Amino acid sequence: MIKIVSGSTIPVGSTVALVNLCNQFNARGYECILYGPDRWHLDKCKSALLANFEPQNKDIIIINDINLSSASDLYKLPALVALPRKKDWFTLFKSLMSQSIWKKPKPGHFMLVLTCQGGDISCKRLTRINFYHRIHTVSRLQQINNNRKISSFICPNIIDDLRKSEHKPDLVAGIIGSIYKQNNTVSSIERALRDGIETVIIYGYLQDPIYYYKEIEPLMRKYPGKIKFAGFIDNKQNLYDSVSDVYYSVNKPWSMVRQECNLTNTRFHGPDIYEEEKSMTNDQILAVWKNELGL
Amino acid sequence: MKNFEDDFYKILKLLKTREPFAFNRFSDGELYMLQNQEVILGDHMVKIGDRVERGPYHEEDFKHFHPEEHGFYRDRLIDAFRFRKKNYFKGLSCRCCVGEENFRWQLDFHGDYDENFTWANLLVNGNYPKFIREMYPVFNDYKTVFICNKKNDLSVLPFVVKDFRVGYNAMVNDYGLIEKIKTWMDENRIEDHLFLFSASFFSKMAIHQLYDHNNRNTYIDVGTTLNPFMNMRLDRTYLKSFWLGAKGSDLNKICIW
Repeated sequence: MIKIVSGSTIPVGSTVALVNLCNQFNARGYECILYGPDRWHLDKCKSALLANFEPQNKDIIIINDINLSSASDLYKLPALVALPRKKDWFTLFKSLMSQSIWKKPKPGHFMLVLTCQGGDISCKRLTRINFYHRIHTVSRLQQINNNRKISSFICPNIIDDLRKSEHKPDLVAGIIGSIYKQNNTVSSIERALRDGIETVIIYGYLQDPIYYYKEIEPLMRKYPGKIKFAGFIDNKQNLYDSVSDVYYSVNKPWSMVRQECNLTNTRFHGPDIYEEEKSMTNDQILAVWKNELGL
Repeated sequence: MKNFEDDFYKILKLLKTREPFAFNRFSDGELYMLQNQEVILGDHMVKIGDRVERGPYHEEDFKHFHPEEHGFYRDRLIDAFRFRKKNYFKGLSCRCCVGEENFRWQLDFHGDYDENFTWANLLVNGNYPKFIREMYPVFNDYKTVFICNKKNDLSVLPFVVKDFRVGYNAMVNDYGLIEKIKTWMDENRIEDHLFLFSASFFSKMAIHQLYDHNNRNTYIDVGTTLNPFMNMRLDRTYLKSFWLGAKGSDLNKICIW
């Protein structure tokens, strides 16, 4: 069985990508379950809470956003994932010190794959990866510390089944992406308003409410009635149907936003850093996964 | 044993699957009214019976329940408290917030145990981050009607299609609005809408009577949870902790039954 295990299953792009991957595996006859510590994913695909995860012989285990120190960590994942969340730095430090720096063997009875979705815990920060059989990245521009030359492959995430919006509004911009400083949400809003956009709708997971209240809320008073907050919504078609333009202000070449804008006939205003990336169909993406996992 | 987080997700699931329900909240203020104690929320003060304390209250919060003058409204609150219907959820004050004696008093006053009892604090304290990040976005799936104070600014909420406003001491002064909302619902055949309430004591009576009148819509008492989107003060501890990062343990508080 394929078991995708993520250190976070809150409603953000990486979780959506893993949900889509899980659904694609199941749709093509490969049994797959997505495990995570949060509950958002539970009604999106075949899924379970992280506490129910148990590695078994012949499993293919795909790990996202969990800093394992060895394959044996798989047997204590809930506790491991809870550590950074609790921000108990002393416990975290103790845990890190107890981890050996020596080379850890690859597990023999299941396949272990690391997927780098490019989230906050970027693959660059992962230092112990020698026990993985494969490493997956979604873009050639993601950097991983792969000194030991572990077999790796690149393929983008599954693209949602989106169609051109039939009735687009006029001069309504969507700001897409989690809301926190690194995503430059404020910059996107201000660019949209400077361009003459009449209504800005913020679609994104509220990662940092303090940033929202200090930086974005004052803009709502500065431009009364022009900025709305929707939060993260599941239905991307509804999202793109509700806007004429999308403003994006962060360099994430693996982001799907530009491609989704193309599919829905939505004007995209963001950095031009996507040219190097070739788009792939979902069939091509699944073919890569099948090949790499030996399915 | 009831679980604070599980109850939140139970309500969220109903909302996502468009199964109509009502979530009414009977917090400490309603508890004191049910106990027939005088309640005054005034300028930075609160009076419960003979006890006067400081409180985080401003003009839009001011209200006065006088047991002898306002018996009619207390009776309507009792109706709302004892009402039973499928998917009519009643949030009670929990023992960790109002103490064992008051918690027991509510249950005794209610009579038979209701399977639809839940926490009045279901959307706040430890569940507030989940409310904002997981439940609030689902409001976008509904045509939403907001019943709130006339001072609230609703322009940030993209899902609001209609609003009804109340003023000072709405429980008494705006009681007639309930009939007006019923008439509007009937004339416009309102179904599958979401009604959000942020109108203190008035909300309790309205949610009961509107759900009894038309249970094909969903009714939620959101209290002060959406204040940061409505240009209102963040004067509750849980709001200050979440939005301003102020110290406080409310966001870690998992209420017990």
